[in-house]
Amino acid sequence: MRRTSTVVLAGVTGVLLLSALAAAQSNAPRSPWKYYPEDARANVGPGGPAPKRDLTGTWAGESSGAGVKRLIPPERTPPFTPLGKQLFDRNKAEGSGVLIAQSNDPHVRFCDPFGFPRNMNDQIRSMTITTLPDRTFVLLKFMTIWREIWMDGRALPANVGGRGRDAHDPTYNGYSVGRWEDDYTFVAETTGMVAETWATEGGYPHSVDARVTERFHRSSKNDLSLTMTMDDPKLYTRPLSLGEVHFRWIPSQTFFDFSCVPSSVQMYLKEMADPSSAPAAAR
Amino acid sequence: MKTKVLMMVALVAGLAAIDSPSFAHHGNAAFDVGKPVVLKGAVVTEFIWINPHPLIKADYKDAKGNVQHWIMEMGSTVSAQLIGWTRTTIAPGDVVTLYVWPAKTGAFAGRFNKVEFADGTTMRDTQTGGDDGGRADTGSRQ
Repeated sequence: MRRTSTVVLAGVTGVLLLSALAAAQSNAPRSPWKYYPEDARANVGPGGPAPKRDLTGTWAGESSGAGVKRLIPPERTPPFTPLGKQLFDRNKAEGSGVLIAQSNDPHVRFCDPFGFPRNMNDQIRSMTITTLPDRTFVLLKFMTIWREIWMDGRALPANVGGRGRDAHDPTYNGYSVGRWEDDYTFVAETTGMVAETWATEGGYPHSVDARVTERFHRSSKNDLSLTMTMDDPKLYTRPLSLGEVHFRWIPSQTFFDFSCVPSSVQMYLKEMADPSSAPAAAR
Repeated sequence: MKTKVLMMVALVAGLAAIDSPSFAHHGNAAFDVGKPVVLKGAVVTEFIWINPHPLIKADYKDAKGNVQHWIMEMGSTVSAQLIGWTRTTIAPGDVVTLYVWPAKTGAFAGRFNKVEFADGTTMRDTQTGGDDGGRADTGSRQ
């Protein structure tokens, strides 16, 4: 009993220490140019009803210091076709058993762009959504990139990566169209992504013909969720869930960018990562 | 003693219960995260503020007087900024105590854990949950 009390007391002490820390931080000089994650964390609750057909603004993701949780990760056992399995086995994602020096993740080794859909399910730090009359733009802080989703009624291109004058080249973010499913749910469809990119951090492959459906749902002023599904019959026997991520409204609407710089990553790999994970290194 | 240990465990559990760190950009599989090496009186030679991971270089004199040239990585600049780091938090010439999870290979390289400055203040790395606001001190992630 006494031990239980001690444990509870220590836990409460931890919370109080954090509160004191937050209070101390609130007395520090503040800049309108800085992002303060404690402000985002303090913005609890729904904050009111969601506005109709409006996702615009800057949103904190799970790696933003705002305490935002990932709701559902990508499927852990993808239903690969034989070709899908063959391509997956080529990809050496860093993780248990694979060190940086052994990974062939094009982003980890070279800062190559994630491309879509990985840039919507990996390194979810912050995003801004803005609109023009005929388009919605998703601006991603990680790697400082944008995606363009057309809403003028056009169809997705039918020939991406093929031959002929009507063909379209694949792009890192693919070709996207979007529509409002209801007043609070925006659905985007994307195809034509560069096939050399990975669909997830874990190295799931995709073909240029993959079709990804994103469903953005704003349930309140402060809450936005995104579910993603990828249909790629060449590589998967059924549509694959890429999971669900959550975003919270940032009261100050500020954040800062995060770019992986190729020369920096080469320095990092040469001086730190490869020597520290190479098997023969010694003091 | 037991009570102190219990209190520490409970404190960490209390912090972790509030939130947990986000997923890693690069993992820590290359490092021995059981117990950090303590480099007392290390002299910082370089602080390289880059992504994907800032690098700290420091010279440490061992018990025999031999100088070891260490290099260690932190979380990303953005994650570190979330818990108060800037590119000038550490500077060349600083005499500090560094806590480092060493590379399993035995190289003088590792994952930075925390620094104690000469004035007694401490700055931790983002494995304390930088991406979640530094609220979870669970030791070995991010």
